[in-house]
Amino acid sequence: MINNAKAIVKVDSKDAKLSMAHFFVAFGALAIGGLMGLLQTLVRSGKFELPFGIGYYQILTAHGVLMGLVLTTFFIMGFQYAAVSRTAGPHSSAARRTGWTGFWMMTAGTLMSGTMILLNEASVLYTFYAPLKAHWIFYLGLTFVVVGSWVDGIAQIMTYAKWRKNHPGVPSPLLSFMAVINTVLWIVATLGVAATVLFQLLPWSLGLVDTVDVLVSRTLFWYFGHPLVYFWLLPAYMCWYAVVPKIIGGKIFSDSLARLSFILFLLFSIPVGFHHQLTEPGIDPAWKFFQVILTFMVVIPSLMTAFSLFATFERYGRSKGATGILGWFKVLPWNDARFIVPFIGMAAFIPAGAGGIINASNQMDQVVHNTIWVTGHFHLTAATSVILTFFGISYWLIPHLTGRKLTKKMNKLGIIQAWVWFIGMAFMSGSMHIQGLLGGPRRSSFSTYGDSKQALEWIPYQIAQAVGGTILFIGIILVLVIFINLAFFAPKGDEEFPVGEAENSEERAPMVFENWKLWLGILTALILFAYTIPFIDIIQNAPPGSKGFRTW
Amino acid sequence: MAKVELKAKQNTEIEDRSSLKGTMASVLFLLLFIIVSWLGVYYLFVDRF
Ligand code: HEM
Ligand SMILES: [Cu+2]
Repeated sequence: MINNAKAIVKVDSKDAKLSMAHFFVAFGALAIGGLMGLLQTLVRSGKFELPFGIGYYQILTAHGVLMGLVLTTFFIMGFQYAAVSRTAGPHSSAARRTGWTGFWMMTAGTLMSGTMILLNEASVLYTFYAPLKAHWIFYLGLTFVVVGSWVDGIAQIMTYAKWRKNHPGVPSPLLSFMAVINTVLWIVATLGVAATVLFQLLPWSLGLVDTVDVLVSRTLFWYFGHPLVYFWLLPAYMCWYAVVPKIIGGKIFSDSLARLSFILFLLFSIPVGFHHQLTEPGIDPAWKFFQVILTFMVVIPSLMTAFSLFATFERYGRSKGATGILGWFKVLPWNDARFIVPFIGMAAFIPAGAGGIINASNQMDQVVHNTIWVTGHFHLTAATSVILTFFGISYWLIPHLTGRKLTKKMNKLGIIQAWVWFIGMAFMSGSMHIQGLLGGPRRSSFSTYGDSKQALEWIPYQIAQAVGGTILFIGIILVLVIFINLAFFAPKGDEEFPVGEAENSEERAPMVFENWKLWLGILTALILFAYTIPFIDIIQNAPPGSKGFRTW
Repeated sequence: MAKVELKAKQNTEIEDRSSLKGTMASVLFLLLFIIVSWLGVYYLFVDRF
């Protein structure tokens, strides 16, 4: 075996530019969205009111759109574009042009929607629940974001397809394979949101039709809304499965296991949107039951992931001479930001995953539905596990792309940043979970509800959320400092793009994993089975449509 | 009557490098954590509804 530890394989510099363009938008969204988050917690504490007639639901919409849709989509597309370039070779100029086209479409769409939120014409929250009605430019902007992301994703698929053509009968590089799975998941999922926007919300907000079928719109939204969270999560898993082993100096436990788990995520994350609609009237409980069963199937690849990560760590630790049941834990490289930042993200996924199983259990959803528990839950999954992993990726990827080095000082600041985030989130998410169990609603400005006894009990938890939110905002400032340093000021040098190798170098992933006809076929069958009958039912038994409301 | 132990029993067992005992323990801990949280909220449900 050749020792190529020294040979640093670089992402092509033209590809690096496009990736960086994505990251500038992503971190810009983080800055503004983070400020909105802080303001939300302050308002909800009851000690602070927004100036200049700015509405709570306006900043909440800005926060949800910027954090949930813009930051994530831009970061993911930028990361996957670089990962494909690194592992399957530089993008062709046609693919690159495609990527740039997608990037500019997404950016234009973001500006359109953002402007409408700023003008107070679109406080409909990021799930744009009809019959709340926004200005049509808001919906058109989001259409640009979605269609732009398809075009952007096609660039990755083109390069993957080229690689496959040049290497017949050989499994594709793991990171490229994973990136393409996630892009396919995204394209299939966004069909739902595209359908409700194009066929319902746009014509309605343009005044071409008077009413909207609310349940159809929500159902199409949640057909997209659940795979959305897996679209956020899978890039983090790419890092956990394929990058972290290399960073710690270990091996990927099993390349085939990683691929299989990604395929299972693709299959089981889409036909399950009803678990967000369990309390919704108008959907037959039998079909809710069926989709809940499919939801629980996601436990399988999740636990496969947990198992394989533990195994990677343990094998590495024992190779360093660690003994005993947990001795391996101590020898992990705790001073390396590239490791510990995603690791804190992994740890946060333990309570996050347990909470998810609770949410999906029909009866228990009645305890937590639409309470702030849910917000606490996804600030663990998305805003901790995923985001901290994205930060950890940035700490090597940004300098890699800009031809700089992560210095000791920035490494240290990165570790501090992650702990600040962890502490802030422990306060904020922890108190959100408890307040939710006590019945406190999500998506609500401060109110004592006529000084009701129950609502008064929530106030201490709301203050704890403001404390956590303030700490988190410090975390946001720190990460922006690091980002700007790595993008513009860090010393020139070569920072590695770590790509792990499988423990068993003889292991060759079965080619059936790359049989897209098969997997897309099964996926389509599952979706059709889970949705066709209930959807017909929803349309046939629809109540009269609703006119639009503007509650702000 | 004192009896001299000739040889103390020696523990020469060397831990297997490929052992995944810690992984097993960790996933069992995960399982336990999930079950306990689930039962906690289930209790609230039974109590309230
Ligand atoms: C400074 C850090 C952050 C703070 C202080 C914060 C705070 C909050 C608060 C208080 C809410 C709920 C308000 C309500 O329901 O009335 C909220 C909602 C939300 N947050 Fe954050 N958050 C932060 C970071 C993030 C990040 C990094 C993400 C995503 C990656 C994120 C995504 C969301 C989403 C999607 C919502 C839901 C909006 C809605 O219900 O319409 N947040 N955030
Ligand atoms: Cu879901």
